[in-house]
Amino acid sequence: MSSTATTERPSNVSEALARGRLGVPSVVFFVLSAAAPLTVVAGVVTTGYGVIGVLGIPLAFLAVAAVLALFSAGYVAMARRMANAGAFYAYVTRGLGRPAGVGTAWVALIAYNALQVGLYGAIGAAAEPVLDRLFGIQPQWWIVALVAWALVGVLGLLRVDINGMVLAVLLCAEIAVIVVFDLAQLGNPAGGSVSFAAFSPDNFFVPGVGAVLVLAILGFVGFEASVVFSEESKDPKRTVPMATYLSVAIIAVVYALSSWSMTVAVGPDRIVEEAGAQSVGLIFNLAGAHLGDTVLTIGQALFLTSVLAAMISFHNTTARYTFALGRERVLPAVFGRTSPMTGAPQAASLAQSGLGLVVILLYAVNGWDPVLQLFFWLGTSGGFGVLLMIATTAVAIITYFARSGEQETLWRRLIAPGIAAIALTAIIVLAVQNFANLLGVEPDSPLRWLFPAVYPVAALLGALWGVALRRNRPDTYARIGLGAESATAVAPPSGTDPVSTGAEVRR
Amino acid sequence: MLIADEFFLIAHNDTRGKAKLHPAAAGLGLAGGLLGELILYGHITVTSGQVTVIDRRPPADALAHTVLDQLIGEAQHQAVRTWLSFLAQTAVTSVGERLARAGVLRRQENRRLLRTTVTYLPIDLNVAAWPATRLRAVLERSEPPSVPDALLLGLIAAAGLTREVLWSAGPRAHHRLNLIIPALPAPLKELVAHTESAVGAAVLRGIP
Repeated sequence: MSSTATTERPSNVSEALARGRLGVPSVVFFVLSAAAPLTVVAGVVTTGYGVIGVLGIPLAFLAVAAVLALFSAGYVAMARRMANAGAFYAYVTRGLGRPAGVGTAWVALIAYNALQVGLYGAIGAAAEPVLDRLFGIQPQWWIVALVAWALVGVLGLLRVDINGMVLAVLLCAEIAVIVVFDLAQLGNPAGGSVSFAAFSPDNFFVPGVGAVLVLAILGFVGFEASVVFSEESKDPKRTVPMATYLSVAIIAVVYALSSWSMTVAVGPDRIVEEAGAQSVGLIFNLAGAHLGDTVLTIGQALFLTSVLAAMISFHNTTARYTFALGRERVLPAVFGRTSPMTGAPQAASLAQSGLGLVVILLYAVNGWDPVLQLFFWLGTSGGFGVLLMIATTAVAIITYFARSGEQETLWRRLIAPGIAAIALTAIIVLAVQNFANLLGVEPDSPLRWLFPAVYPVAALLGALWGVALRRNRPDTYARIGLGAESATAVAPPSGTDPVSTGAEVRR
Repeated sequence: MLIADEFFLIAHNDTRGKAKLHPAAAGLGLAGGLLGELILYGHITVTSGQVTVIDRRPPADALAHTVLDQLIGEAQHQAVRTWLSFLAQTAVTSVGERLARAGVLRRQENRRLLRTTVTYLPIDLNVAAWPATRLRAVLERSEPPSVPDALLLGLIAAAGLTREVLWSAGPRAHHRLNLIIPALPAPLKELVAHTESAVGAAVLRGIP
């Protein structure tokens, strides 16, 4: 009899809240669609071969995937214990203190803005064949970029996150096209035999290795977003880690395969020269020769939608970052407000659009090259910024677990993030040494120092701002790193430590 | 009029009953209103992010009664944020129905293609517009507002509706609003803060 009495009654609350919860596939789709695979394969990889001139890009993708998988072990473990889990600076705040957190937030703003704005340089090249085919017109790149800019700006203000179903279909189509292209390239090897030279360590450990590693990191940007769903997932302990590892693995396989098959089809000895000459057209020219016109057209159309989807996704990421900082009052409070009707972070979205417009006009007026100097330079610089944040976060994870004494396996709290931190630091050192290769400029060009130096300067200024907040606005200082949860940080009037509530309460 | 009712009318301050607030914030603001009503009646309290029932006697209002029953029936869930999310899912309908029962709104079903949507139309426009007008007047006066009015203002600010209410008010009203929320009794202040956090988190997730 007693067994019936102790049987747990089904909970209406748990059931109602579980209904909208996400499973592994939903989270993976979300992450991958932000990563925009075709943009990376057709845009970043081809330009990368041409500019950097190193054959080892496929191996770099695999190496970076291994490092990020190690990093993710600690990252997802800490994410479960965090408010504002989607933002690297929140981890740094908890692990290394609030001034370091503000410094990281500044770096994040620059890096994500660079990634978003850089995409305006690719849209012209992506739209050119499609517009030519449809209307027979060849507009200037900046006209296309301005149209895309207006579209992104309006969608951002209306908070039209493209429907998840549409994104999923586009993503599947992109991956299908990439695989078809790859198979065709592997089926038509240059010189008649398939070469594995791109996977040879001899072609990887060469001057310029740091540059290709940054390029590979750039391809993975977006994987960090999986933890945003820690609370909305069916099983936070399983769903988010699984989704993170799966995303990293899928990205690694697709990118390594694609970048390798390009070298097979063109020939390892000629890929650098051909990629330099044909730029983003390379894989489409190959596909046109191997597969015919229909597949080529589909591929070109998907490249265009891929770049657009990536733009909208990065615009929203950047606007939300700014919104979170506005909620904390680390940035002016106006950035923390939303449009009542749509819930869009209005001011944050407008600010991002404003920056985009300035950059497009700057490049148009000066006649700078959109693909190399806008898309590739800002893209790789943004990727370098994300690399710096991942490395700092890896250290923050170790110190967080060491200081808080929370129950966690040794692997997740020390060993995995420790190896990742060492590897990431090594990549940073190599990247700084090879920054001239990454940008494709002369080794004595001031640009090779200017681009990487932006981040330490921003981090330093941010940290100083954090220290200033501690003295002048202790309320704001207490909220740093909590994002949208910061409203709760100052709520309890008496008793408990006001800093800890927002996050601790929900444990 | 009850807190959640006034919030509803302010968030749908329109002749056609269309929402002026996005669904996530409207639901969470109304959920905050429903919990706030129970706090004001002395049925529950909020401390350190947890809801505790302190008086199990049924409240006079039917909806408040239902909410209290749910709180008592599922005592394993205590986090304010859990209850805000749960109540937010149905709050627009349940509060809209309450206002329809009270004769303030009229329920209207619209069939469009395959979907049926429900809107609540004001029966008397003056009654529907009154809460916003009243709050503006409250902020213009120099004496501090009553606790229920202060809570309503807090929830309005938490949901991001301040400019809807204060569109014509001077800087003095804005300044006064900034002083009212910190002066709320502790459980209500915490409720407002959790509502603001939940609304912000919904924006950050980006899924409407």
